[in-house]
Amino acid sequence: MASVIAATLASIFLLFLVTPIAELVITGGGSGLRKLTTDAELRSSLWLTLATATAAVLCGVAGGTPIAYLLARRQFRGRAILSAVLDLPLLIPHPVAGIALLLVLGRNSPVGGAALDAGIRIVGSPIGIAVAMLFVSAPLYVSGAREAFARVDPRYEAVARTLGDPPWRAFRRVSLPLSMRGLVAAAVVMWARAVSEFGAIVVITYNPKAASVLSFDRFTSFGLSEALPVAAVLAILALVPLTLLRALRYGRTAADTTGVGEG
Amino acid sequence: MIEARGIHARVGAFELRDVSFTVPRGKYGVVIGPAGSGKTTLLETIAGIRPLRSGTITLDGQDTRGIPPESRRVGFVYQHGYLFPHLSVGENIGYGATSADIARETAARLGAESLLGRSVRGLSGGERQLVAIARALAARPSILLLDEPFSALDPRRRVRVRREVRTLHQEWNITVLQVTHDFTEAGLLGDVAILLDSGRVLQSGPPERVFREPASPYIAEFLGAENVLAGTVHHLRDVAPDWSPSDDDEVNDLAVRGKHAIEFRAGPLTLYTVGDAAEGTGHAVIRAEEILLSVEPHPSSARNVFRGRITEVASAGALTRVTIEVQDTPLIAALTTRSAEELGLVAGHEVWASFKAMAVHLC
Repeated sequence: MASVIAATLASIFLLFLVTPIAELVITGGGSGLRKLTTDAELRSSLWLTLATATAAVLCGVAGGTPIAYLLARRQFRGRAILSAVLDLPLLIPHPVAGIALLLVLGRNSPVGGAALDAGIRIVGSPIGIAVAMLFVSAPLYVSGAREAFARVDPRYEAVARTLGDPPWRAFRRVSLPLSMRGLVAAAVVMWARAVSEFGAIVVITYNPKAASVLSFDRFTSFGLSEALPVAAVLAILALVPLTLLRALRYGRTAADTTGVGEG
Repeated sequence: MIEARGIHARVGAFELRDVSFTVPRGKYGVVIGPAGSGKTTLLETIAGIRPLRSGTITLDGQDTRGIPPESRRVGFVYQHGYLFPHLSVGENIGYGATSADIARETAARLGAESLLGRSVRGLSGGERQLVAIARALAARPSILLLDEPFSALDPRRRVRVRREVRTLHQEWNITVLQVTHDFTEAGLLGDVAILLDSGRVLQSGPPERVFREPASPYIAEFLGAENVLAGTVHHLRDVAPDWSPSDDDEVNDLAVRGKHAIEFRAGPLTLYTVGDAAEGTGHAVIRAEEILLSVEPHPSSARNVFRGRITEVASAGALTRVTIEVQDTPLIAALTTRSAEELGLVAGHEVWASFKAMAVHLC
């Protein structure tokens, strides 16, 4: 009896998660894909989203990898505080994140002003979109990368050191390849989160429009029928990282069973 | 040479405390200790993998303070090998080698040549250890640190690899420090034995001496001494009625070196020995293999002769352990199973147990 109740509850929960997205893709997927050939604004919005998300991920990987490694490998005073600070962007409402970024990078702020003086416009530009994406999604990369490094026994690196490698070379030859699958998975999660970001982007850069902002704009300006194809294309786009992640996880499971990570 | 002087190191709550010992250049040191005694931490501290909190570690005459692991010319083999799983066996062995030829030659010496093209993932536990040893040796270290490196090898391969490591250590003049819990291995390989427990060195020195002359009853029991008796030490200033040092040349020799003839009373038992132990309470250690059993009393030079009753005969292959009750004190003797059978030793029989004064070590 208990198992029947549990199965029923699980089925209802699953339907709750899947039905809206399936309905969206079924209803708007065809028209959305057709629109890709005819709707120039949708195309450029998608390219803009993909390019800015990729740029955000590259910046996140460059800056987040050393921090993730540090958190996974070293014990130091303030480590718990640093971890909490890194998780903060995940916990605050994303429009609030956008407002915070606006305060620091807006044209009246010292950083934004200096950037403008140097001819670099942040707010209201693709850079603003990338910055907003980076801010809200980088913690996911740091967290995933930290786990990836933590899964690699530090004794591998210790052995490499005794075999003549200085720390950086031991990292490059041993820790990095051994944690690569986890790092790529973390980057994919970050990319997916960046692509789907709306709240922070809409505050810092309404135009040019990222795909999520375009979908919102079409909904508020023209109603559901116009927003549907854009939303459906975004949902289909989300399947790409999802598939990649599944492939990476399957690969990791297969590798684990054949001895990766064992002495 | 490995010289540790008063070293302290910490891993979590565990601490190595005031550890001092020396393994001379080109010699083979063996660290023996129970699980959790700090053996691996000690090796990691010597390699520079763990930070040293205080004390000094000198490797081949060079103080290692500020010298990173990669500059210490130390090879390290963990019990589980830690082979790099993203590299082939050949790439693992060649990882720190100065040339591919050296890597191949080292692999061949250890019998790992046939594994070179294989993936690490398919190796057995023993093969992993073999490759890990080859990888460390291929880097031509001047010091080799081995953490239970032969434990996963099958008995036949263990003998071969142990012999080859010993040969390479002598040929290449490598100083070796190996962790083991196998006393036989320690005796076979070691020039220096270091007993570690709870992060402290209990005793160090030539294995023969450590095994024969344990510094405390705890060490004696830890090293598997079967007969450890608590009692009191009395120096025999006058010749006791049944004590005639001239019967025993070795006793005379020791007397010249300033040792005493000693009577050791352990409950109803009185043992005779020689040594420099102070009068008062102490412990006597007699290794089981030093006790001779006979079914009738025989005149001999042995100073300690007791009549007792057999309470247990336990055979394990070629060796048999016989427990006899002597005046309510159990004594264990070890003899070959063939001898035990020839003497017809069975529980309940009376026998005579004898051992020389020199077989009794006081601590």
